[in-house]
Amino acid sequence: MALEKQEHRPVAEKGEHIIARHLIEDDSIKEEKNLVIDGVDVSGRWNTFILSRVDAEYDRSFFREIKDTVVGSRINRCWQCGMCTASCTVTPLYRRFNPRAFIYMMQLGNLKELKKYIDVAWRCVGCYKCSQRCPKQVNPAEMMEALGLVIKKYFPEEVESKLKVDEDVKKIYDDMILGDGRLDLAKLHTSAMRKTGRTKELLGKIERDTIFKMAKDGRAFSILRLGKPRNWGKSKEAIENYLKNIKSIENSEN
Amino acid sequence: MAENILVIGGGPAGLNAATMLSEIGVKVTLVERDSFLGGNPKKFKYKFLFPDMQPADNVIGELIKKTETGSNIKVYYSSEISDFKEKGKKFDATIKSANGNETKTFDSVIVSTGFEHFDPARDAKYSYQLFDDVIDIKDLERMMGENNFVRPSNGQPPKNVAFILCVGSRDRHVGNQYCSRVCCTVSVKQAIELREHFPDCEVYIFYMDIRTYGFFEDLYWQAMEEHDVQIVKGRIAEITSGPDNTVVCKGEDTLLRGPFEIPFDMVVLASGMEGGPQSPEMSKKLGIELDEHGFLKPENVTLSPFKSNRPGIFLAGACTGPKAISDSITEGAAAAMNAYTYAVKNR
Ligand SMILES: Cc1cc2nc3c(=O)[nH]c(=O)nc-3n(C[C@H](O)[C@H](O)[C@H](O)COP(=O)(O)OP(=O)(O)OC[C@H]3O[C@@H](n4cnc5c(N)ncnc54)[C@H](O)[C@@H]3O)c2cc1C
Ligand code: SF4
Ligand code: SF4
Ligand code: SF4
Repeated sequence: MALEKQEHRPVAEKGEHIIARHLIEDDSIKEEKNLVIDGVDVSGRWNTFILSRVDAEYDRSFFREIKDTVVGSRINRCWQCGMCTASCTVTPLYRRFNPRAFIYMMQLGNLKELKKYIDVAWRCVGCYKCSQRCPKQVNPAEMMEALGLVIKKYFPEEVESKLKVDEDVKKIYDDMILGDGRLDLAKLHTSAMRKTGRTKELLGKIERDTIFKMAKDGRAFSILRLGKPRNWGKSKEAIENYLKNIKSIENSEN
Repeated sequence: MAENILVIGGGPAGLNAATMLSEIGVKVTLVERDSFLGGNPKKFKYKFLFPDMQPADNVIGELIKKTETGSNIKVYYSSEISDFKEKGKKFDATIKSANGNETKTFDSVIVSTGFEHFDPARDAKYSYQLFDDVIDIKDLERMMGENNFVRPSNGQPPKNVAFILCVGSRDRHVGNQYCSRVCCTVSVKQAIELREHFPDCEVYIFYMDIRTYGFFEDLYWQAMEEHDVQIVKGRIAEITSGPDNTVVCKGEDTLLRGPFEIPFDMVVLASGMEGGPQSPEMSKKLGIELDEHGFLKPENVTLSPFKSNRPGIFLAGACTGPKAISDSITEGAAAAMNAYTYAVKNR
C-alpha cells in the first residue's frame, strides 16, 4: 500500500527538504521542479542549490570623504590598538562609546554598524586624553568630531529623533546665560529633578544635608551674591545677534 | 696549496659565501640544482626588494656577476651531490651534472640550499588554482617583475585586491606552526607597489598579526599612511566564487565581531617559506640534523646558527629557517669564515 501512495509523487515546496529552512531566504534557493540530466530524473530536492551569502563590497568613498575633512584627515593611520578607548574619559561610563571601534567602522565605510551607536556617538567630552596617548597620532579626539559630522549627514532623521534637544532645558539654559551671563547650578539641578519627577528627593536627606553644609560654610551666600559679569549688556546683545543670525541661516536652508 | 670548499646552493647565501672565499684565494666549487644562479629571488623575478625598494638586480645581479667572474669559483649548473663521504677530517663528494660524475675532496662544506615557497594549493580552503584570480605573493612578484599585472581571469586591471596573510604558516592544519617572517613585509611592500602603479585599485590586508619586524615596520606605516592601504583583522577561512566574476573572502572581523563575505576582484595569498624537499635530502646525504619545522638544524641556534651538528659542515641562509636576504647574505659570510677556519686548522 505504501507503493500506491508513492505513485503520485507529491510536488514539494521549494527547498522543503532543507533542514532549518527558515534560516534561508527564498531567493537564495535554486531548485528546478522538473529536471532530467542524462536521462536521470533529478527533479526537486535532488538539484537543490543554496547560493552563498555575499556582503556588499567595502565602500571606500566614505573613508575618502572623512579623510578630506580637517578633523578626519588622519583616519588612514589608525591600526586599531585601542589605546584611545583605553584612555577615554567617557568609555567607562558609556561602554558602548568606543572611539577605536568607531574609527574602524569609518575606515571600512560600515554605516550599518555606525548607525547602531547614534545615541552614544556624541558623548566625547573633548578631553584629548586619547590624542595624547595614540601611538600613531591619529588624533582620535578630532576623529570623534568627524564622526559627529558624518552621523549628522547620513542619519539626519535618527539624529533628530534620538537626540532631540529638550526644549524646556534649553530655555532654562538660554534664559540663565542671556539673563545672568552664567549658569545657576542650583537652579539647573532643581529644574532637572523636577522634570524627571524626582521632586520628593529635593526635600530628602541628601539635599537637606547639602543645603545645610553650604549654608554653614558660606558657599550658599556667596552664590547668591554672585552678580552679573561686568558690562554684561554688551555681551548679551552680541550673543543674541549671533543666535538670530544662526536662526536665519537655518531657516534659509530649510 | 689552496683550500677546497664546497658550496651547495647558489642563492643569495651561497653566492656571498662563494665570492668571499674566492676573494681570499680559496678554491670554491658551487653546486647549483637549477640552470641559473640567484636562488628564489631570481627564479621568481623579484623586482624590487624590501626594505628600501632597491632593484633586486642591485643585489642578486651583483652577486651573480661576482660569482661568475670570480677566478677561483667553479660553478656546476643543473647539478647535484650524488654521493658524500667523510675522509678523515675532509669530505669526498661526487657531483652529478650533464657532464657526468666527478668526485672531489673538500676541506669543508657550506650548505645553502634555501627554501621553497609553500604551495597554497595544498590548503584547499583558499581555492588557489581553482580560481584564476587567486594568486600568491611569489606569483605577484613575478607578474610585477614582468610588468604584467592584470586579473588572470580577464586581463583587466582589478579595482580591489585583498592580501591574506599567514597562508601555510602558523597553522597546525597544514603542519607549519612557525611564522615565515618575510610574508608580512613582502605583502605590505607589494601593497605599496600596487597602490603606486594602480591608484584606482583599493588594497586590503586581512591579518591576524602584522609582523613587519625591526625597521621593516616603516613599510607597514607607509602602506597605511601614504597609500591608504586598509588592514582588516581576521583570517580568511574560505574563498568562494562571487557575483560578477569576483572571488569572495569569508572571514570574521574580530574587531567588530561577526562574519563577513566580501567580494574582491583579486586575492593575493601571502604564502610562507618551507624547508622544501632539499632540507631532508641534505640531512640524509650529509648526515646533518633536521629540525621539527622541516629546516636544517644549527648546532646552537643562538651561539652558532651557521654551524651544523657535524664538524666541517656549515649552514647559511633560509635552509635553517625563514629569513630576509640581508640575513642570508650575512650568514653566507659567517659560514664562509667558519668553513675557512675549519679548512685551515685541518690542513
Ligand atoms: C615572495 C617572497 C619575496 C621576498 N622578497 C624579499 C625582499 O624583497 N627582500 C628580502 O630581503 N628578502 C625577500 N625574501 C626572502 C628571500 O627570498 C630569502 O631570504 C632568500 O632567497 C634566501 O636565500 P638563500 O640563498 O638562503 O635561499 P634560496 O634563495 O632559496 O636559494 C637556494 C638555492 O639553492 C639551490 N638548491 C636547493 N636545493 C639544492 C640541491 N639539493 N642541490 C643544489 N642546489 C640546490 C636552489 O636552486 C637555489 O638556487 C622574499 C621571500 C619571498 C617568499
Ligand atoms: S586612534 Fe590611535 S589609539 Fe586609537 S586605536 Fe587608532 S591608533 Fe590606536
Ligand atoms: S577626547 Fe573624547 S574620545 Fe578622546 S579620550 Fe576624551 S572623551 Fe574620549
Ligand atoms: S610574517 Fe606575517 S604573514 Fe608571514 S607567517 Fe609571520 S605573521 Fe604570518
